[in-house]
This record gives sequence, structure tokens and C-alpha cells, in this order.
Amino acid sequence: MALRRIFGMSSSAAQSAALPTLAQILGRVHLRLILFAVALAAASLVVSGGIVIRNYAQRNLDLIARTVSYTVEPAVVFGDADAIREGLVSVAAVGGVDRVEVRDPAGRVLAHWQHSHAELHSGIEDVANGVIWPDPSRAAIQRGDVVIGQVRVYGNSEGLLRYILAGLIIALSCLGLTVLATRILAQRLQKDVIGPLDHVADVAHSVRSDRAFEKRVPSSGIAEIDRFGQDFNALLAELQGWHAGLTSENAELARRATHDSLSGLGNRVLFEQTLGDAIGSSVRSGVSFAVLYLDVDHFKDINDRHGHECGDAALIAVAERLRQSIRHVDHAFRLGGDEFAVVLAPFYNRAHVDAVSARIDKSMERPFRLPNGLFATSTLSIGVAVYPDDGVSPQDLLRRADAEMYLRKRGRRSAGFEGIENA
Amino acid sequence: MKVANRLRIALLALAAVPLVGAADLVLVPVAGGANDPYAAPVGRIVQSITEYTSWPTRQNPVTLCVVGPAAHAERLDDLRLADGRLIERRTVALTGFAPAACDALYIGRVAMPDMRILTAQARGRGVLTIAEADPDCRSQAMFCLLFPPQAVTFRMNIDAIARSGLKVDPRVLRISQGGR
Repeated sequence: MALRRIFGMSSSAAQSAALPTLAQILGRVHLRLILFAVALAAASLVVSGGIVIRNYAQRNLDLIARTVSYTVEPAVVFGDADAIREGLVSVAAVGGVDRVEVRDPAGRVLAHWQHSHAELHSGIEDVANGVIWPDPSRAAIQRGDVVIGQVRVYGNSEGLLRYILAGLIIALSCLGLTVLATRILAQRLQKDVIGPLDHVADVAHSVRSDRAFEKRVPSSGIAEIDRFGQDFNALLAELQGWHAGLTSENAELARRATHDSLSGLGNRVLFEQTLGDAIGSSVRSGVSFAVLYLDVDHFKDINDRHGHECGDAALIAVAERLRQSIRHVDHAFRLGGDEFAVVLAPFYNRAHVDAVSARIDKSMERPFRLPNGLFATSTLSIGVAVYPDDGVSPQDLLRRADAEMYLRKRGRRSAGFEGIENA
Repeated sequence: MKVANRLRIALLALAAVPLVGAADLVLVPVAGGANDPYAAPVGRIVQSITEYTSWPTRQNPVTLCVVGPAAHAERLDDLRLADGRLIERRTVALTGFAPAACDALYIGRVAMPDMRILTAQARGRGVLTIAEADPDCRSQAMFCLLFPPQAVTFRMNIDAIARSGLKVDPRVLRISQGGR
């Protein structure tokens, strides 16, 4: 369940697996409620029904006793036992009667009839008879004012037991039906209540696992969950803002770590990384690439003569011109001080390297403006190392390019930095 | 009060009297002697029939006329009904029967034509007729006694009862032979 993902987030997986779902809780509560209701209804119906039936049966027994008394009265007067028996059988041999006796005033049984226990007879019935009908219904047989006999009718609990049995069976069937209905209702409730909660859970999960901060909980049809969803959405919006700020700050920090703040070019760290990557890709492709090592000639003079502000301006100008002189697949770096480097993308022709060098030299011919209002030009000494001709390791390549750069610099020492007065 | 007590005792005794059921009475003499075993049951049946018969006017005492030679009529004296009325036995000659003087008529062993004459006289006059010696009940008597072995029963002639001018409790029909 998606809900378990929310509620079980901080706990272990085993714990969350043991937690019941909302649907299970709802189902359990429903089931208990239904069991209680049906049991209560069934019990009260069976008990009240049983009492009512017993009362009616009691009246029926009284009526039977009186009817037997009336019917057998002449037979008792005539003293005809057969007639007494026939009379009582004709009236009393019905369901609900266990035994009928006609006694004379001395208590002797003149005639009796006993319900045949062919079916469903058991000790239970005898016990029930004793409990439900502890005393028989009695009716006196009178002729005028004189009592000439007595009728005793003993009740039979068979009908009542059948009623209770039927009641139990009906209650059980009702229970089954209602349990089924509860299931269906619980499922519907689950769809209505837990569905919206599941939406929230899904959103929370995708936010957590996929950083999908732009997701929002859809509106549900339930006020509480809707309020919860709105707060959740607001929280998500805040999270999204924080996340965006954090991401851009991180990017800025990462950029600062690998870039020179003055010139905006990559720094030594990025240079070494880029050089390593370039060697790796050349090893795979077998195509050459070149590293250019550049140094501003007489940079110390600029600093000394015009101050560090002008030196920085010169470095920015150099960086700008370097950037303009190379293609977008090439990368320029400021390694520190007045040292720059360029990693040229793989090429198939050595002339390409020379063309880049020439383009850089040419770009430096244009004067640049210093903060003190003067214009100045400067030259760069460039040393080139080609992979794999001049070395296969970054150190070899750098050493080679550095050495070449120094050779060039010594050769043009005379040229130097030239300041031009602002016209 | 005294009468009621006596009556109660009499009825208790009556209820306690078992039916003629002794095993030595399988062969029954036609004519009863001094110890006629049928006498008591007959007395009881006559009393019971009277008990459940109602006259247009309440008769007290009830005059029971016995006609002809009766074999089992020894115990018809001093019978008493539940409500305390006495049954007064009167022996009447065959030709001396007058419906106005009798409430009930016990017909002894007389010839069928005589029985018919008696019942014809009694018809519609409010006289209860009981025939002792008419097992087929062709004499138009209302009640005819039967003497099967070990018991005394009776037969009812519904037609005769309907024409008698008396009311007989229909429950008596149940006790009569063929009425069940």
C-alpha cells in the first residue's frame, strides 16, 4: 500500500509490514459492529419471540385444557373411559401438547394421551419441556358446582425449540449476508477515503524518490483530506522553492570551484580534469589533440608600472581574446598569475594548431583599455604540446608545452609590453 | 347445604365407580336377579342421560316411569342429578302410561308393537324415552340400551330426539354407540 510508505517511512520494513492498513482497520471495525448488531437483534428477536410464543402456547394449552374439560365432561359423567380418551384425543392431539391427562377427583388417571416422540426427541427436549412448562395447564371438569375431574395438559417445547433453531439459522444467514455487504461497503469506503489518501502517498513517494517537486495532490471529495492535501501542496511548493535555490547555489559553488573568478575561465583544477578527459578520449579514438601553454610577456611590468588594477584588466582582456580565438569545442583556462592554457579538441592536421596560435597572436595585436584610461597591447608566448607525439601523460605534455613556451619567450624577450598614451 | 354435600358425596362415589369390567362377567344372564351386574351401570346411564337432557320447563323432581318388566332397573331409585334434583321412579302399567305424568319413560321388555305405541304416545310431549330391550333401536325410543359383554352402552335415535320436544346435549352423541 502506498499509505504504508508514508506512515512506515521512518520505521523499518518489518515494522511497516506488520502495521494494519486503514482498509483492514475499517473492515475490522465494520465486522465487529455488524456482529454486535446482528447478534443483538437476533438475540432480542429470538428471546422476545420465544416469550411471546410461549405466552401464546400457554394460552393455547389453557384453551386446550378447557376444551378437553368441556368435551370429556359427559364421558366422565357416563363413566366411559373410551369416550374420555377419544374426546381428549380429538381435541388435544395437536402440536405443542406433550401429554394430556384426565383424572378423577381422587387423582386417578381416567385417560391420557402422550405425544409420540418418533422424531426429534432427545434429552434436550425433555429438559426444555421441564424448563419451559414446569407446571401443566389445569382445568376442572365440573357438572353444576361439583368438580368431577381434572384435565392436565403438559406443554411440548418442540415448536419453541424449532423456532429458536430457525431463528439461529436465520440469524446466521443474516450474519453471512451482512458480512458480505460489509465487505462491499468497506471496499467502497476504502475507494472513497483511502483513494485520496493514496494520491497523497503517491505524490509524497515520487517527491521523495524522484525529486518530483512539481507534483501536486489533486483535490479530493472529502473536506479533511482536501485540507490536508492543500497544506501538503503548500509544503511541496515551499520545498520546491528551497530545492531550486539549493540547486542553483550548488551549481554556483561547483562553478566557482572549477573557474577563475577574475577571468571567468576554467582554473587549474578544471584544466587538469579536462586534460585527463581529453587524453582518455584520444586513447579511445586514436586522434591527436594539443595543449597550448600561454604566458603574458612582461606582465610584471604592467603590474609595476600601472598597478594591480591594470594588471587585472590586462588579464581579463587576454582571457577575452583567448576565448574569442578558439572554437567552442576547445577550452581555455587560467592556471594562475599570467599563465593560461588551452586544450584544443582532437584534430587530424598539425596546421590547425598553428592556425589557432596565429589567431591568438593576431588577436593580441589590438590594444586594450586599462582602467587608468591608457591603451596597451601585449604579446603572449605560446608553447604547444601534441598528444601523443610530445608525450602521453599530462605531466609530459605540460612540461613539453612549458619548455617550448620558455624557448619562445626567450626569443622575443626584446619585444616586451608596450604602453600607449591615450590619444 | 346439607343436600349439596350429600350430592357431592354421591357424585364422587359415582365417579369412582368403575365400569362393569370384571373378567367373570363374560356371560351375562338375560334376566337380572338380585345381584344383576348391569343394574348399576344402567342406573348410571339413565341418570347421565337425564343429566344431559333439558325439558322445556325445569322439572323437579324428574319423574321416571318404568313400563313393563325391566331386567336391569333395580338401581333406578333415588337417583340424583348434579344440580340436586331427584329422579323419582314410578312403576307404570303398560296401558297406564300418560305422557303428562311422566318426564322420562323407561321401557322394559315389551313387544315391539307395544314399544311403538308407547313411543308414539310420548313423541312431542316432552318425554325422554329409554328402551331396555331394543338393541336395533327400531322402537322410535330416543335412547336404546345395549348390553355387550362387560359393559352397558346405548344407541341414540336422532330422529326420535328431534321429534321429542326435548333438548339433548350433543356431546352425549359422542358417547353413544355409532356416534363416534
